[in-house]
Formats: sequence, C-alpha cells, structure tokens
Amino acid sequence: MIQGRYADGRAAITHDAECDIGPDAITFRVRDAQHIWPYGDLRRADDGAGLIVLKRRPDTGERLMLDADAKDTLRAAAPSLFRPRAFGVEPPSVVGGLIAGAWSLAAVFLVGVPLAAAPIADIIPPRYREQIADISWSQVEALTEFCDDSDEASRVLNDLAYRMMTAANVEGRDDIWVIIVDAPIPNAFALPDNSIVVTDDLIALADHPDELTGVIAHEIAHIERNHVLKNIIRSVGAGIFFDIVFGGAGAGQAVAIASVNLASLSYSRDDETDADMRGLEYLDAAGIDTGGLARLFDRLAEQYEGEEASDFPSLFSTHPATSARAEVARQRSRAGLAPSMNAADWRIVQSSCGMDPAAGTESEETPKPPEQEGVAKP
Amino acid sequence: MTTEATQEHPFSHGGRFFDVLGLAAKNAGLSVLTLTLYRFWARTAMRRRLWSRVTVLGDPLEYTGTAWELFRGFLISLPCFFLPAIFVFYVAPLVMDPVLAIWLGLGFYLVAIPLIAAARYWMRRYQLSRTRWRGIRMGLAGSAGAFALASFGWTVLQSVSLGWYTPVARMNRAKMMWENTRFGDQPFEFIDDGESPQKGLWWPFALGWFAFPIAYIGSTLVVLAVVAALSGGGFQVPGADGDADPTAVLGFVAGVVGLTLLLVLLCWAPYNAAAMNRIASLITLDGARFRLKAKTFSLFWVQLAGWVITILSLTLLAPLAGFLQVRYVINRLEIVGTPKFAEIGQSIVEGPRAGESLGDAFDLDLGVGVI
Ligand SMILES: [Zn+2]
Repeated sequence: MIQGRYADGRAAITHDAECDIGPDAITFRVRDAQHIWPYGDLRRADDGAGLIVLKRRPDTGERLMLDADAKDTLRAAAPSLFRPRAFGVEPPSVVGGLIAGAWSLAAVFLVGVPLAAAPIADIIPPRYREQIADISWSQVEALTEFCDDSDEASRVLNDLAYRMMTAANVEGRDDIWVIIVDAPIPNAFALPDNSIVVTDDLIALADHPDELTGVIAHEIAHIERNHVLKNIIRSVGAGIFFDIVFGGAGAGQAVAIASVNLASLSYSRDDETDADMRGLEYLDAAGIDTGGLARLFDRLAEQYEGEEASDFPSLFSTHPATSARAEVARQRSRAGLAPSMNAADWRIVQSSCGMDPAAGTESEETPKPPEQEGVAKP
Repeated sequence: MTTEATQEHPFSHGGRFFDVLGLAAKNAGLSVLTLTLYRFWARTAMRRRLWSRVTVLGDPLEYTGTAWELFRGFLISLPCFFLPAIFVFYVAPLVMDPVLAIWLGLGFYLVAIPLIAAARYWMRRYQLSRTRWRGIRMGLAGSAGAFALASFGWTVLQSVSLGWYTPVARMNRAKMMWENTRFGDQPFEFIDDGESPQKGLWWPFALGWFAFPIAYIGSTLVVLAVVAALSGGGFQVPGADGDADPTAVLGFVAGVVGLTLLLVLLCWAPYNAAAMNRIASLITLDGARFRLKAKTFSLFWVQLAGWVITILSLTLLAPLAGFLQVRYVINRLEIVGTPKFAEIGQSIVEGPRAGESLGDAFDLDLGVGVI
C-alpha cells in the first residue's frame, strides 16, 4: 500500500489516497470512494525529476501524486509510464518528418524556383515586366542624370547594337534599346524592360570603341537570355521561403525587395559565363574583334587589383575582371578587323554627356563617387 | 484532505542551469536541422520542463500545451497574416502602382502594430490555459482587442511624453493583464492600496531615463578623445608604423559601446526591480497577497547573464535567459495569507484550441512565457 495524494480536478486541494499498484491498473481509495485507473489510460503530468504525477487521457483534471519512492514499483508494473511518450515527448518520426519537410520546402523554393525561373520569366506578361522595370527606372533616375546632348551618341550605340543583334539573329531585337546616362560610376546594366543603361564614365574609361562594344554585347546577352527577370524570380522565391519557414514577417522580405533594387542585382556565375559566351558570339557574327573586351578586362584587373570591396558597385567590383575572362575573349580575337565604330562616330559617343574626347575624361569636375549603393552591376 | 501548511518558501523553482542548458542545446540543434520548423516542439518541451520545476506549496505546475497546437496556430496565421504580408511586400511592389504599393505597405504596418499587442494577449491566454496546478487550469479572460487598443494608446502617450509615461503604462498593462487572470474560477485582483500604483517608481525611472544620454555622451567623448590622440600622432604603438590600426580602433569602439550598454542596463535595474516588486504587491488571489523581493544588483546580474547567453549563442539559447529570469522571480516570491483552495473550483472557460499563432510571427517571448 502506497500513500499518495489525489486532486479531483474540481477544487484546488489534494486528498490523501491509499494506492495499490496492481498488474494492469492502479487502484486507490480516497475517503470512501475507490478509483481504478488502468495504466493504458494514463499519462505523466510531471517531468520525471521528482514527484510522480499521473493524469488520465483524455484529461479530466484529476491528478494522482506519488512520492518518488514509488518509482521502482510503478516502473515494474507499468514500464510504458516511463517512456518518453508518456511525458508527451514527440516520437522520432515527428523529428524525421520535420527534417524531411523543411528540406523539401527548401528544395522547392531554393532549387525548384531557380530552375523554373527561366520558364516563369518567359510567361510574365509585358504589363508586369514594365511595372517591374519602373521600379528599376525610378532608381536609375534617382542615382543618375539623363544626358540631353546624347541623342546622336545613343543613335550610334543603338545602330551598333542592332548590327550585332541582326548578325547574331537575336530575337526581340526591336525591343532592345541603349541609353546613356551621367553617373559617377563606370558601369552598364540591363533593365527588365530590355533597356541597356550605359554610364558616361564607362565611355570615358574605354580606350577603343571595341572595348565599349564588348560590354554592350555582354548586356544584350543578359537580356536575350532573360537573366534579369530570372534573377528577380529567384530572389523573390528565396524571400518567400525565408518568411514562411522562419515565420518572421520581414526576414526574407529584405532579400526580395533588394532583388528589385539595382544595387544588388547580381547574376549567378552561370548567367555571367553564359552572357560572356553569347556576347562574344555577337561580336564574332558582326565581325568585331573580341580583343577589345580582353584589353578592357586586363586593364581593369590591373587597375582594380586589391581594391575589391569598394564603396560603390562598379562594373568591376561586382563583375571581377578576372584574367580567365580576359583569356576567353583574347582567344577568340582576330586581327585585321575594322573598329566597331568609325572615328567620327566614336568621337560623337565620346562627346556625349558634356565629355571632352580630347581630355579622355569629363570636362566638368568629376564628383567623388558618393557612398551609396550606386548604380547597378552590369 | 490535507491542510496547507504555512511554508517558509511557498514558491520555489528547482530548475538547474545545466539541465536547462542541455535541453536548450538539443532544441537549438534540432531547430537548425529542421530549418527552425522544430521551434514549436522546442518551445513546448522547454515550457514543460520549466513549468514542472516550479512548485507552489509543494505541488508542481504543469504545462499541458502540445507542439501540434502551436503548429496549428502557425498554420492558421499563415493565411491570415503571412499571405497578406507576402502580397503586400512581394507582389504589390512588382505589379501595382509604386506609390500605391508604398501606401499599402505603410497601412500594413499600421495594422500590424496594434496586432502585436493583441498577439501578446492571445499568447498569454494560450499559455495560461495550458497551465495547471493540482489539476486546476489557469486562464485569461477579457478581450485582446481592448488590450491592443488601450496598449496602443499608452504607447502613443509614452512616445509623446518622451518616455515619462512609461511607469504609468507599465502599471496599466499589468493591471489589465492581472485583473483578467484566473486560477480556476477564482480571479486575481489588482488592488488599490490607497497609494499611487507608481509609488516608488519615479526616482528609479529617472535614473534609467538619464542613464542613456549620460552614458552615450560620456562614451562619445571618450571615443573622440582616443581618435584625436591616434590621429594627432600622440599615440604610438611601439613597432608600428604610426598609422592607427583599424582593428584596434574598432575593438576600442566596440569596448566603449559594450560598456555603455552595461552601464545603461545597470541604471535600469533599480526601476525594473521596483516595478516588479510593486506589481507583485498589488496582486491578490482570494485575499492572499504576494510579495516579491527583487533587488537591483541581483536582477542586474540575472539580466546581464541572459543577454550574454542570448548574444553569444546568436539567440539559439535565448530560452536559458528566460529561465534565469523566471527562476529569479519565483524564488523571491512570497505569499501572504492563504487562499481558500478548497473553494477554488475548476475553470469553466475553455482555452483556445490552437496555439499562439501571431506570437510566433513576432517572436514575442523567445520561447519561454513568463507567468
Ligand atoms: Zn553581366
């Protein structure tokens, strides 16, 4: 006979109980009433560290408390009451299921969405494409200035781009448009509405028209391959995943918002290689020497060496002008080809945005690059 | 029937640090493995452990909540909160007029702020309804909406008064929470003892209020002095080329910031201790009163330990911080008089069926509830 205490679930007091631990059930007397609790219906209400507290399932509010001394007797009669399950600890299958579920979700959003990004990007209606581009444009407008005097120069660049696209038979070439802006950063980038923005500082940086043409070809390739929208879709997928799994409003939101932000628009390595290769194909098809791009990469690798992590994302801080990239372009280089622009056209381009081609830099004082997330990566 | 012996320590918390640390570490590991989806199970296991180590008049508390309830609450909050959030923050900026999308985002925050207060109330209702002692359930009556609305008003007053309304707001919130708290069918009361509820809080609050500007100005002056010394060449590290080592400067700044935070925490401790003690002294249950003996320095150490653990473990071991604080309170809590427990019956109000839904979204209690 073991002495216990019984709470009836109706008042916040306990009554002395005379308990008998039988083979299938615990029987106890409280005052004159006898209670029989079969072990199969019981659960633990304690955590196994001291007092043993038994409750019924479903919970009636009744509790039977036994001293820790009763442990051995009770364990011998009802070992199930000492298994983790009796304390409400989840079985290993739950943990396994959670691990499988979490990683499946991750696979869907972090692998599946990126894989499906290309087909999704292709079916996004033009209306939404324009709207997404509006966000990018509002940033271009905030960070750069349009050049009133560059109509001629942009006509030259557009003719050149069209020549390459026709030679390489780029689909949708009529929608692709090159624009020159005034910005303190040498860069060029593609927008979701098929615009290519070229900064005046990039023009000033080029020693030869083929260098600039090589960069434009690379950007056209990003557009032809739909890398811009693919990239945004990937980031939004990742953002939604982080929000769902971590359950916080805003964890992944930052990721997704940032993806539409020009400053963090960076492509995957595969997309970059893809754009590099395709861009070189345009140059080849149009009879333009790829050596110009190689020289640009080489010069920049030298110039920007050890200067990674600059304050503003320029073409080169985010798009490392590695010697490997230069090498690929150099290998395809052919001697004896005419420059991609004639001297007069090149002079027009170099004179855009108030630049002085003789000086090779802007005639106006070039302001120091501001410490902001500047204009995008190419 | 047993009689309630008058005990020296009616409340005690038998939780041991390393025992809780072990569980927290296991939870953290599984949470990482499941990309945080295990958090509902982790939270439940931790509460079950912490509740069961609290004894009141010799009998333990019991946490009867289940992880599936929390998970269900999360799933319910998914369409009610997360899907709108995803629309507002992901879809709208891409497909809607940008200006309209920005207004929509602002509107969302405007709704979300009072929702946080309501979520706090729902969370407490859930936790109390899953807390039993001698088989009798606790509970929280009242309306979360009313609490959210009142709380929002107090928050506004706090900001327009540059924080000086805070002691009043704190007591108001405590009053509203405790007057709606039930043990079985017995309500707690938040009494008027004839004095201002903020009695003894103003001087400690003033110390805390001025701590931040003073600590901030002081530390800024120190940083400026050091930077001046370094750039003026008056400070030379032997063997160095004279340039200020950026990592050393960074380390120094981090040190000053850390010290400032320490000082600020220390200056707020008297107010926090006083407010906790005052709140406890105004709570009654069936005529029995409570007394809490929180002290400035002991509370400071407990809070400091909690912060250090939370930061060093990248919040993975945050429940440990909650444990330290709960244990601190429980072990210093006394009861004056004895409620007539024989007359306190079972609660007739059913608790909520699903768990804390939005509480999870805002991560309100770092996984441990404070009763
Ligand atoms: Zn690129």
